[in-house]
Amino acid sequence: MMSFDRKLAIATRIAREIRRDRRSLAMIIGAPVIVMSLIGFSFQDQKPVLNQAAPALIATMVMFFVFVLTGISFLRERTQGTLERLLSTAVSRSDLLIGYLAGFLIFALIQSIIILLYTLYVVDVEYSGKIWDIILILLVVTITSVSMGIFVSTFAKNEFQVVQFIPLLLAPQIFLSGVIIPTSQLPGYFQGISGALPLTYANRALRDIMLRGASLSDVSLEIGILALFAIAMLVAAAVTVRKT
Amino acid sequence: MDTTSNTPAISISGLEFAYGNRPVLKGIDLEIPRGIAFGVLGANGAGKTTLVRLLIGRLKATAGSVQIFGQQPGPELSSSVGYMPQLNALYEALSVHENLDFFARMLGLSNSEHRAKAVERAMDLVDLSDRAESVMNELSGGMRQRVSLGAALVHEPDLLLLDEPTVGLDPELRATFWQHFKDMTDNGTTILISSHTMDDAAHCDTLGFMRDGKFIATGTPDELRQSTGKPDSNLEDAFLHLSRASA
Repeated sequence: MMSFDRKLAIATRIAREIRRDRRSLAMIIGAPVIVMSLIGFSFQDQKPVLNQAAPALIATMVMFFVFVLTGISFLRERTQGTLERLLSTAVSRSDLLIGYLAGFLIFALIQSIIILLYTLYVVDVEYSGKIWDIILILLVVTITSVSMGIFVSTFAKNEFQVVQFIPLLLAPQIFLSGVIIPTSQLPGYFQGISGALPLTYANRALRDIMLRGASLSDVSLEIGILALFAIAMLVAAAVTVRKT
Repeated sequence: MDTTSNTPAISISGLEFAYGNRPVLKGIDLEIPRGIAFGVLGANGAGKTTLVRLLIGRLKATAGSVQIFGQQPGPELSSSVGYMPQLNALYEALSVHENLDFFARMLGLSNSEHRAKAVERAMDLVDLSDRAESVMNELSGGMRQRVSLGAALVHEPDLLLLDEPTVGLDPELRATFWQHFKDMTDNGTTILISSHTMDDAAHCDTLGFMRDGKFIATGTPDELRQSTGKPDSNLEDAFLHLSRASA
C-alpha cells in the first residue's frame, strides 16, 4: 500500500528531527569544513597535488558523512522500537526508503554543496567544468551512501558497531578508488577490487569534469555504473529494511 | 473487511513459533470474542511479546494459524488494529502533537481535516491536550506512555494490541489507563493486553495464563481464582497453583 502522503510524512519528520538537533546540525556543516580545511591548507604550497586530489576528496567526504548520518539514524529507528511500530502500520518498503532518501537528501545535499563550495572557493582548488554537473555526481553518491547506511544498519546492534563498518566499507574505497594513488598504479589484483567500488567511478567522473572540463555525456559510463551501484544498494536496503 | 459480524476478533489455532531452533510458542489455541479485554498473563520470557508480534504480522508462524477478524494479520488490517509496543517507540525530537499526527498519517489518515480531529480526540483521551506542543524529552515516563497509547488508538481501531502498557506507571495512572480500556470495550473495541502484573489481570474480562510458550489456563478472573479450590485465593495464588500443576 504505497502512499505519497506517507513518504512525505517520513521525509518531513526526518528533516524536522535533524533541524531540531542543533549540535548534530552544526556537526553536519562544521565537520566537513574542518576536514577540508585541514587537508586543503596543509597542501597550500603544493597546489597541483591539491587540485589533483580535490575531486576524489570531495566525493570521499560526501560518502563518509552521509553514510555515518544515515547509518546511525536508521539504527536508532530500529533500536528505539519506532521501526517496529511503523511496520505495524500500512507503511510499505518504498514509503520507508523513499521517505528516508528524501529526508536525508535535503541535508546530504546541503552538506555536499557546502563541501564543494568550500573546497572550490575557500580552499581555492582550481576547477573547470560545470558546477551543476559536479552536484549531479554528488547526488548519485549521496543516494548510494544513504542506501548503504540503511543496509548496514541491519547488521549493527548499536552506534559503536555502525562506526566499525567505516574501516570495513569506507577505508578500502579511500585506498583503492584513486583518492591517494591513481588506480592505474595499483597492483593488478587491487585494480580488480577497485573496479568493484562505487567511489572509483565517482572519483573518475569528478576528476574528468573538474580537471579536464569534461561534460556529463563524456562521463556517462561512470555515471551509469555509479547509478547501478545506487540501485543495487537501494535493492539491498529494500530487502533488509523491514528487519528489526 | 467485516468488523461487525460474529467472527471472533482473534482466532488462533495450533500456533507454534520458534526463533531458529529455540521454540517460543508451543501450540496455542485461542479465540477472543469482540468487545472484551483479554489479558495475556505470564512471567518474563513466557512468550507474550512473541504472541503480540505474531498478531501484528511482524513474525510468521512456524505452524498453525492466526486470524484477526477472519483475516491473516498484516498491513491490510492496520486500519482496524492499533498496536502499543513495550518500548514507548516515539520520536524524541517531536512534540506530542507531531508524534500523533505522524503515526496517524502512517495509519492511513491522509485527509488533514479528519486527521486533525483524530489527533485532537486522541490527545483528549490520554489527557495531554495541554502538552500538545511539548517535545517528548520534556515529558515524564507516564506521559510518554500516554502518548504511546494515543498513537495506538488515534485511528479508532476495532482491536487494540497492548504489550505491557502499564509497566512503570504509578497506581493513579494505571487506574486512568484501565478506565480508558473499560470505556473502549464498552464501545465495542476488543483489547488484548499482555502483562505480568496481577493488578492488570483483575481488570480483564477474560485471562489467559501463559507459561513456557503455552496457555496453561484461560477463563474469567473469578473462574481462575476458583481453580485453586480455596475460597480466599487471589489471582496470584491461582497463577502459581496452575503454573506448578502444569510444570
